[in-house]
Amino acid sequence: MTLEELNVFVTTQANVGMEAYYWWCTALMVLIHVGFLMYEVGATRMQNAVSSGVKNLLAFAFMIPTFWLFGWWIYLAFPGGFVPIDLEGYGAPWNVSMGPMLSDQATGVFWAAFTLFACTTASIFSGSVIERIRISAFTFLAVILGSVVWILGASWGWHPDGWLVTRFGFHDVAAAGCVHTIAGLFAFGVLLNLGPRIGKYNEDGTANELEGHSLVLSFVGLLTLIVGFFGFVGGCLIWGASDFGGWTNIYGAPATLSSFVFNMLMGLSGGMIGAFWYSKGNPFWMMSGGLAGIFICAAGLDIWYPGFAFILGVVAGIVIIPANNFLHNTFKIDDCVGAVSIHGVCGILGILVVGIFAAGYPSAGDIPPTSFMGQLMSAIVMALVGFVPGYGISFIMKQAGWLRVPDAVQKAGIDKAELGLQAYND
Amino acid sequence: MINSWPGPENSWEGVDAYFTWADKPGMLVFLTLVTACICLAIVISAARHEADTASKNQ
Repeated sequence: MTLEELNVFVTTQANVGMEAYYWWCTALMVLIHVGFLMYEVGATRMQNAVSSGVKNLLAFAFMIPTFWLFGWWIYLAFPGGFVPIDLEGYGAPWNVSMGPMLSDQATGVFWAAFTLFACTTASIFSGSVIERIRISAFTFLAVILGSVVWILGASWGWHPDGWLVTRFGFHDVAAAGCVHTIAGLFAFGVLLNLGPRIGKYNEDGTANELEGHSLVLSFVGLLTLIVGFFGFVGGCLIWGASDFGGWTNIYGAPATLSSFVFNMLMGLSGGMIGAFWYSKGNPFWMMSGGLAGIFICAAGLDIWYPGFAFILGVVAGIVIIPANNFLHNTFKIDDCVGAVSIHGVCGILGILVVGIFAAGYPSAGDIPPTSFMGQLMSAIVMALVGFVPGYGISFIMKQAGWLRVPDAVQKAGIDKAELGLQAYND
Repeated sequence: MINSWPGPENSWEGVDAYFTWADKPGMLVFLTLVTACICLAIVISAARHEADTASKNQ
């Protein structure tokens, strides 16, 4: 074998390996959607179980074409803010790279992975609004969140030329900001306009617990989510193909899958244990705490010491419960699965802890090192990117009468009234 | 059948991107618009069905 042949062989293997890696990360991420679907359906009362599932499936189905139509282009075109850069057509759906192309083994699998990230944001939002949002309105909002809003945040805070990265050294390797903070705050904005389910709050302001119909389904769903997040977190690393020479994080700094898995699992464990202790054994909060434990570690998943990730996880597992109570008591929202607390609050905390405990970490190229002010500024931006469109667009939809299922249909049950179906038969 | 774009038909020689049924820019844009219209139409259709359901349940 000549040196030239060896070079072709190595390059080919590296490219095929990269393609296969992101392919399987994408496949694993589908399990996030499976998990969210089971979780939400289980958390829904029986009369609305089918519509909850349909809503979740529609988010998945609509995200794919809309992310192909404009989501991927938004990520590539807006790293500088609100003015698109000239990509000479790259990323647009009529570009040669946005379909079968023999010389491009990267665009398709990266597009697919980002599409599943988008689906994840929609799923996060989905659980918080079950049993009273119109399916068509949810689908529209899910597309706005998944194919516009979060990906704009990703362009600012994930893209190597994103203005939060180049100006502030924003460090958010596993998307605590652009996925969890944005999706959580988007959900919060919508919840303020959507209102609670009928029967959630009494006239004196006290709340009732509207129990879901299957705790077992929710358990299995939440555990399935964990499997799916292995694909999500794996997809946040850049494959060390022939151009790089090793794994890097999304900003081009050295990283490893091992560091990611150390901290992801330790954060997960800490979150479950913390929530178990604080909730006095409530299994819903235990599983949610596990997720929160991952999310609070997510921004610095490449740099934590595992013992510290465990402690962060414990904090997340504890914090989500009073945070959820505060949001409900103060704003009278009805966040059926605690998404604002678990994703929004822990996403913000995840960004901030990097600034507090990991300031000064160098990045690649001209990217400034991590700093508290950089992380604080970025957390504020991410929160606003999620909240403002979530609140603003849902407010307009509310005024237009296109947001909430009418009370009569809620009482009749959405499954029977709208879909002519019921989840269980005798 | 594969319509190569911009490569020659019936051969993989020189083929790079190949979009079946969309071998001209106009067709690419047309199919993109059809995809967008289908997405939009389905959401509008679902919203109408919900409005009908609401009026029947009043």
